[in-house]
Amino acid sequence: MSNDFYTSSILPYAAIIIKICRAYTNNQQDFEDYYQEVCLQIWKSRNNFRAQSEWSTWVYRLSLNVSMTLLRKHKNNRPSLASDKLPSEIWDEPRAFNDDSLKQLYAAIRQLSEVDRGVILLYLEEKSYQEIADIIGTNPNNIGVRIKRIKERLKKILDGKIN
Amino acid sequence: MEKSIETMWKEGFLNSNALIAPKINDIYNQKSIHIIDKFQKMFLFNIWGIIIGSSLLFIASYFAGAVLAGSIVLIMMFWVAYTAYQELKSLEKIDKGQSSYTFLKAFKDWISKSIDRYGKMYSAVYPVLILVFYFGIWFSDMFAHKREIVAGSSNDLVLGLHIPTTIIVIIMAVLMSIFSKAIHRKDVKTIYGGILKKLDLALAEMEELRGE
Repeated sequence: MSNDFYTSSILPYAAIIIKICRAYTNNQQDFEDYYQEVCLQIWKSRNNFRAQSEWSTWVYRLSLNVSMTLLRKHKNNRPSLASDKLPSEIWDEPRAFNDDSLKQLYAAIRQLSEVDRGVILLYLEEKSYQEIADIIGTNPNNIGVRIKRIKERLKKILDGKIN
Repeated sequence: MEKSIETMWKEGFLNSNALIAPKINDIYNQKSIHIIDKFQKMFLFNIWGIIIGSSLLFIASYFAGAVLAGSIVLIMMFWVAYTAYQELKSLEKIDKGQSSYTFLKAFKDWISKSIDRYGKMYSAVYPVLILVFYFGIWFSDMFAHKREIVAGSSNDLVLGLHIPTTIIVIIMAVLMSIFSKAIHRKDVKTIYGGILKKLDLALAEMEELRGE
């Protein structure tokens, strides 16, 4: 991968990749591996990009797909779906989070299923229901209900910890 | 919960160092180490397979009344296992500290040299195994009755061996010796084909990355 491609086509969208990769990993090492893998896949798939959507949408889609695939491979990162509580040990990495609320929110997001993580991340990034549906590959009519349910679950997880 | 999740999200990234991109370097490091680790595990597994398999064969040869043949096979296979173990030790000497590309290239070179070394060894092992199996089975206690039948019905015998069959087996042994390297290469492809394919793909990708 040339430096030019990384600087011009990936680095400006690094925030997207970072936000997604952090939601699918539990430590800095895994996060850096996921980040590198996403960058590599973007570079490898660059010729498949059709200008029908924004480049940023393409980056979201690839980042989510790669992260979900890696998560499935690394079974130890799977969330305990039955749990509505934050894990007792939360990834405390100064390079990752210096904001406690964000740290808690990420820990709560990591308790969700892999698809729900993607949906809520896109929602928080202020993507429209149509865009979320396009990226995830689902029906936009179901997105609203899904988001409502995810937000309730997140609130429950966070309330359990904070209050 | 005091803040909404939307606020937590927005405010959390303000003045945050959470969005600093990690450095992209040595992108294939993990992958290359993983490929070679997997190969080493399979290699070690195969060495144990050879030791256990030949030991079981030796026990079977004892019960079949072919202890001499069983002993020769056992010695040959232990020689193969010992050589494989030495090969594995030489693989561990490849410096993991070098770049992934150089590391994988060194690994590929090791495989080629290893196939050459094994090829030479198998040029002796294959024919000996074939001949030992043939003579061992034929002269085993289990085949005593069959030997008597053949001796009674055929004139083409020398030292109790059926001449045409023996010639065919000897020709096979010679051919196996001549083509030992090609046969071994095929064996390697069958056993380690998946990993070798991954290795070639990784090297091709890296060469493309280097060329960009």
